[in-house]
Amino acid sequence: MENTFEHYIEGRPDFALLTVKIPSGQTLKVEASAMATMDTNLKMKTKMKGGFGRLFTGESIFINDFTAENGAAEIKIAPSAPGDLIHYPLNGSETLYLQSSAFVASAPSVTVNSKWQGFKGFFSGAGLFLAQCTGSGDLWFNSFGGVIEIDVKDSYVVDTGNIVAFTGNLSYTVTRFGGYKSLFFSGEGLVCRFQGEGKVWIQTRKIGPLTSWAHPFRPEGKN
Amino acid sequence: MEINLTGKPAFTYVNVDLQPGETIIAEADAMASMAAGISILAKTNGGIIAGLVKKFVGGESFFVNHFTNNSNKVQRLVLTQPTPGDMKVMELNDQSYCLQGGSYIACTSGIKLGVKWAGFASLIGGEGLFKLQASGTGQLIFGAYGALIEKDVDGEYIVDTSHLVGYEPHMKLKTQLSGGIFSSFFGGEGLVTRVEGKGKIIIQSRSVSGLTAWLNRYF
Amino acid sequence: MEVKIEKGPGAAAAKVTLQAGEVLTAESGAMIAMSDDLSVETTTHKKNSRGIMKAIKRAISGESFFMNHFTAGPQGGTVYLGSTLPGDMFTYELNGDKLIVQAGSYVGSAHDVNVEFNWQGFKSLFSGESAFWLGVSGKGTVILNSFGAIYSVEVDGDYIVDTGHIVAFQETLNFSIGTAGSSWINSYFGGEGLICRFRGKGTVWCQSHNDNAFGSALTPSLKTR
Repeated sequence: MENTFEHYIEGRPDFALLTVKIPSGQTLKVEASAMATMDTNLKMKTKMKGGFGRLFTGESIFINDFTAENGAAEIKIAPSAPGDLIHYPLNGSETLYLQSSAFVASAPSVTVNSKWQGFKGFFSGAGLFLAQCTGSGDLWFNSFGGVIEIDVKDSYVVDTGNIVAFTGNLSYTVTRFGGYKSLFFSGEGLVCRFQGEGKVWIQTRKIGPLTSWAHPFRPEGKN
Repeated sequence: MEINLTGKPAFTYVNVDLQPGETIIAEADAMASMAAGISILAKTNGGIIAGLVKKFVGGESFFVNHFTNNSNKVQRLVLTQPTPGDMKVMELNDQSYCLQGGSYIACTSGIKLGVKWAGFASLIGGEGLFKLQASGTGQLIFGAYGALIEKDVDGEYIVDTSHLVGYEPHMKLKTQLSGGIFSSFFGGEGLVTRVEGKGKIIIQSRSVSGLTAWLNRYF
Repeated sequence: MEVKIEKGPGAAAAKVTLQAGEVLTAESGAMIAMSDDLSVETTTHKKNSRGIMKAIKRAISGESFFMNHFTAGPQGGTVYLGSTLPGDMFTYELNGDKLIVQAGSYVGSAHDVNVEFNWQGFKSLFSGESAFWLGVSGKGTVILNSFGAIYSVEVDGDYIVDTGHIVAFQETLNFSIGTAGSSWINSYFGGEGLICRFRGKGTVWCQSHNDNAFGSALTPSLKTR
């Protein structure tokens, strides 16, 4: 099974587009509805992956398998959110936690598991639902907005809506931002305090305020 | 006239430097700011009937604006588009190019805008019956939501319908299912466009429908 | 206080580095991430101030009701600030002068900068952009954001800007809001919204894109409410 794929990313950092060359007979796992263009000899199959957990993440529950038949094929993959794309090759012994809507594509040798965040996730508004990625192979994930890599040495605080991914060796706790007054008035909601040594990828935008902004533009429903 | 694209690639906008007496035609609402010596005249986009057809199927406005430099010095006009993204200036030399509705921004006066029958398949694909065709000689400015990527097609190629921006008029577009019935509708890809022929197509790396589908999940 | 704008012009975030004890004031909701030893206070305006009237005025102006004040601990600290819509950010050093800023463009400022509601009365009712203006004055850094790329124009005479594209301008400029073209018919059918004619000497900061136009482009495919 192919673990690494020839690929390139263009349109960075705001509208990143991933192009992957799939060798003949090999398969690539791609987030549902992310395909922008593809060669005609790529065959698409839909499977349910990651279990029912994904039903609640607001994420579509389907990951598509694209297999190249009778020759190599090229596919261009576009995430829905405007932003950047990161390529992270997993080395088999590490775990990467991804914010649920950040998954874009991976080699079939990477296992993607939605991990239930329990109570904590409900209040963040951004839905701090995490997918746990393990295995060895190529993984691509996207950010909403620009992505900033932070090397955590001791501790670091990130608004839950701005988390894209973090390495498995970090411990984290979700807490309120400031006192009670801050919870409701600060606009910040919940923050995540990371501790230990590892890497956090943060995105410069949050989905919550964007949906509030978009709300007035929604057409009126017909009665 | 000098046309300069800047702010690439996320928020591309155009600086147009008009010589005295020069005119550029732009989509209604495309002006961000301009020097005071430029005048605006609203005109119908190719006549009333064509304008109406375009508005309801092509997605372009009924009216376009003619911006003319009435002073005796060079004046700058800044043009933009409703969505963030990239733009492209295409030089047409007695040629035509087809654009997805909504991507037209501006053109010089030697280019005429018309509608082109796109076929029933296009309607099923959700894109409308007509496409906008720009023909003539001059500069054509168009844009998209996302980055613009050129692809040379020789034979056939599959494009998610909401990502296709422009194509050469002689190329054929066909709508088809992206996978088997189950895969197509549950896989999220639905219907896609199959492009056939030899020529250059332009795709955008994001789509408005992709963005709203993502936002809609949170409402 | 040092401010560095990263990821501009498409997804700008401001990285603010504070000295020990320095205070950063920011719009509520703007914080992306911060180092751990900063203390945060949420108030209506200036730290420790009781200005409820000011907060109410600010709520009307479109800016959030409350502001967050970040105070750095003995080791100093960093705060990343972001904005709701994609776009750019820029900083301006106030030195006794005053900028009129479109509500929604204010991100944060040094604690000694005055942020006030600036009622334009009748004129802004016509703007159609529901644009209210803030006045920022005093001494220190102010951080502003835009929807789109930011370009500045040194006005010396007259200049015309579509009202949805104004980010900020120096108070020294006179302005009048009106319709584009030579007659109202032109502007109504021509599609240009309201425009602002600046006159005098000063700087205008414009944004390349208009968030209302973007929202309207999304309307056909957004879920109905």
